[in-house]
Amino acid sequence: MNYKYKDWLMQIAFTFGAILFAMFIGSLVIMFIGKNPITVYQSMLQFTFGRSDSIGAILFKSTPLIFAGLAVALSFRVGLFNIGAEGQYFIGALAASIVGFSLQGLPWFIHLPLVILAGMAGGMLWALIPALLKVKRGAHEVITTIMMNYIAYSVVHYFVADLFLDKAQNLPKGYGSPMVRMPKILESARMPTMHDFVGIFGVEMPRYIYLNWFFVIGILLAIAVYILIWKTPFGMEIRAVGQNPHASETVGIQSKKVYLKTFLISGAIAGLIGLSDLLGYIGYMDTDFPRGYGFTGIAVALLANNNALGVVLAALLFGFLRRGAEGLQAIEQIPMDVVVILEGVIILSIVVASQLMRRYFKTQEKKREKESQKTSASDGDKEGLENVE
Amino acid sequence: MVSRDLVIETKGLRKSFPGVLANDQIDIDIRRGEVHAIVGENGAGKSTLMKMLCGLYQPDAGEIFLNGEKIELSDPGKAIKLGIGMVHQHFMLIPRFSVTENIILGAENSNRGVLNFKKAHAEVEELCKRYEFDLNPKELVADLSVGEQQRVEILKVLYRGAEVIIMDEPTAVLVPQEVDELFKNLKLLVEAGKTVIFISHKLDEVLEISDRITVLRRGQKIGTVNKEDTNKKHLAEMMVGRPVLFTVEKGEADVEGTVLEINDLHYSENGQAILNGVNFEVKAGEIYGIAGVEGNGQTELVETIVGLRKPASGSVKLLGKDITGKEVVDIRKEGIGFVPEDRHKRGLVLPMTVAENSILGKHNSKDLKKSLLLDYKKIEALTKQYITDYDIRVSSPQVEIGNLSGGNQQKVILAREFSGEPNLIIAAQPTRGLDVGAIEFVRKELVKARDAGKAVLLISADLEEVMAMSDRIGVIYNGRITSEFLPEEVDHQQLGHYMLGSEKEGAAK
Repeated sequence: MNYKYKDWLMQIAFTFGAILFAMFIGSLVIMFIGKNPITVYQSMLQFTFGRSDSIGAILFKSTPLIFAGLAVALSFRVGLFNIGAEGQYFIGALAASIVGFSLQGLPWFIHLPLVILAGMAGGMLWALIPALLKVKRGAHEVITTIMMNYIAYSVVHYFVADLFLDKAQNLPKGYGSPMVRMPKILESARMPTMHDFVGIFGVEMPRYIYLNWFFVIGILLAIAVYILIWKTPFGMEIRAVGQNPHASETVGIQSKKVYLKTFLISGAIAGLIGLSDLLGYIGYMDTDFPRGYGFTGIAVALLANNNALGVVLAALLFGFLRRGAEGLQAIEQIPMDVVVILEGVIILSIVVASQLMRRYFKTQEKKREKESQKTSASDGDKEGLENVE
Repeated sequence: MVSRDLVIETKGLRKSFPGVLANDQIDIDIRRGEVHAIVGENGAGKSTLMKMLCGLYQPDAGEIFLNGEKIELSDPGKAIKLGIGMVHQHFMLIPRFSVTENIILGAENSNRGVLNFKKAHAEVEELCKRYEFDLNPKELVADLSVGEQQRVEILKVLYRGAEVIIMDEPTAVLVPQEVDELFKNLKLLVEAGKTVIFISHKLDEVLEISDRITVLRRGQKIGTVNKEDTNKKHLAEMMVGRPVLFTVEKGEADVEGTVLEINDLHYSENGQAILNGVNFEVKAGEIYGIAGVEGNGQTELVETIVGLRKPASGSVKLLGKDITGKEVVDIRKEGIGFVPEDRHKRGLVLPMTVAENSILGKHNSKDLKKSLLLDYKKIEALTKQYITDYDIRVSSPQVEIGNLSGGNQQKVILAREFSGEPNLIIAAQPTRGLDVGAIEFVRKELVKARDAGKAVLLISADLEEVMAMSDRIGVIYNGRITSEFLPEEVDHQQLGHYMLGSEKEGAAK
């Protein structure tokens, strides 16, 4: 079994090779805008690892991406493409903030879990519609989830700008118009930051870093998803249906039920994406609520090859790149878009590398099987005919 | 008739693919005017060798000689120019084109850019007449039977002036009557001085049609023998490397009560009736074989019984209990073991491991769980048991099942489906695409199940198999069981007749 360990090393080597290749392409882009790639990369590393606040910022930035990656990866496992994580987290955040400002007088240990559950329910509800359309009518989930995203943006806008617009904002005269936002989420529903916790270890995190306990929840959830997929009977159904629905049905797995359940779980996880920002940072829902995590989640899942634990690492890489981008903009006056290009090239090279890797492992395993079948069959061979013709 | 001079000769041909040596040191010689059969198990390298001869693959090493001259076949076009043509197993015809159009496609004769259809028709007609091909050049290919389509493929090659015709498993798709017709055509071709290379693993046919036979095993040539100097047993031994049993050894059937009872079963799809009132029953301790040309409702019948399709009307009863239209899960619980006809589509999840495939469908059973999680130790132990019991050749239960040979894959399915002590076993095309050794194994297991008092429903396109295995035979035609026989009542020819639509007098249900 020692080859398993070797395969594992190969896998890491391939991934790093892909990242290095992407950095090389990135250098060309940086050279094209007239900067020295070495100094640029250097200052990016210095900025992200040389400052105490950067680590916290990276973890905070990667938190929503962990949830997004998990939601997309899970749906990939059953063979569905959940492009709708974007809309699902918008609706999740909307539901969470309604529960967050409207239920008064609850202690935090009841209110906060309720708000989180509301977020998951919102995401699940938004996933239910495309899932039903898929199972009952065969509508392709890519089309329906994309459409649901647009609907979600508009629904949230309607709630924020009209239905639940916070009219109690009393600004002093002359200070402009009130913000277009919903009422603030009550203190009892806010997610505490991790300042006190890291303080125990003598680390002092600056106040403007909003790293909160959703990061830990994300890691625990990644472990839970890993166990679900690889250790439970239902996880086996997910993988079987994802890889061959016909064979699954033949042995009695009801593939439609598996599609439906998995998509709903994916939606519930997606409902958590926005909560780190909502409950740990901004504190209210407004028209500028951060967009795009759902789409980045697709890239994260792809990078992680749909492995739940890999999602955490991929999310951290994206968190690092985004923090680095801020540094580049501030120090080197390089537009953030260079890092966006880098992200894109990394994804492309990882996709290519993982294809190459898969092909390599396939032939390796085939070779081993051919040999083992030959050795176990060779006893019969010796009695074969030697003198023919 | 057969002259001694060689048309094709190869020396030390070798071809490898990543991780597989498909052909190694192959020396063959093909004489002018002979039918030369190439036989071997699946994966022996027959197709690779032929693809090198017709220019689809280039050898890694070795030489090919045509009429004593060394040739380089860089592409199929060149092979055709030199007079080597191949008839593939899967036809490459355009259904909406006529016979003539299909034949001249790619080799059109034109007069200043205008096709000369008259001339083409005349040429094709002339070819048909010369080799006694029963074809109308103006008919659309879509309206032709499979046997007729094959004739079009052969004509395509002849039209391009082939002297050597390579045929890849030509009889796999034909019923006995069509096989006879094909062999008649081939004999005429050979009399006219053409050479035929015939790939097959059906030894009876090989012995009937060919003059000499070359046997390949695991990419190597084992030998070339004259037809007169060999027999089926000897050939099979050369192919497999050990003696093979052909006759299925089975005693008298010890038949008991009815297990499966099908009453007036109807099924239709997209408004087209596929099952038109199927009636039959299978009793405990017997093998009931269903013979029929493919596409007469066999697949749908089986899938309706196991619950994958919902019947329009009629009933399916298992041990007296009505299971019509229930979910697959519930039907399997009543005790059905199902070996599907398409292993890769319906039988296995190829990217999953041998262990996972072995417990698929049983993954919710309490024996394989530890609280909520799967107990991988128990799963592995169970799989190892299967591996020993069913002689599955694999290095570890954790290997992806897609990497195993067809025979070993089928053994995993048998292990899974037979282990639950089913009352009824449905085996659809259980030996399709398997090599001789694996076929023998599968057939023995089916007989074993029958002797253990299980009811076995066997569906096979291989007439040999149906006749050798079954205790009773039902012929399916156009979605109905049109006649039932005892195997000793009929011979091949008669059965073939019934498969094409005749009904047994007075006995049709």
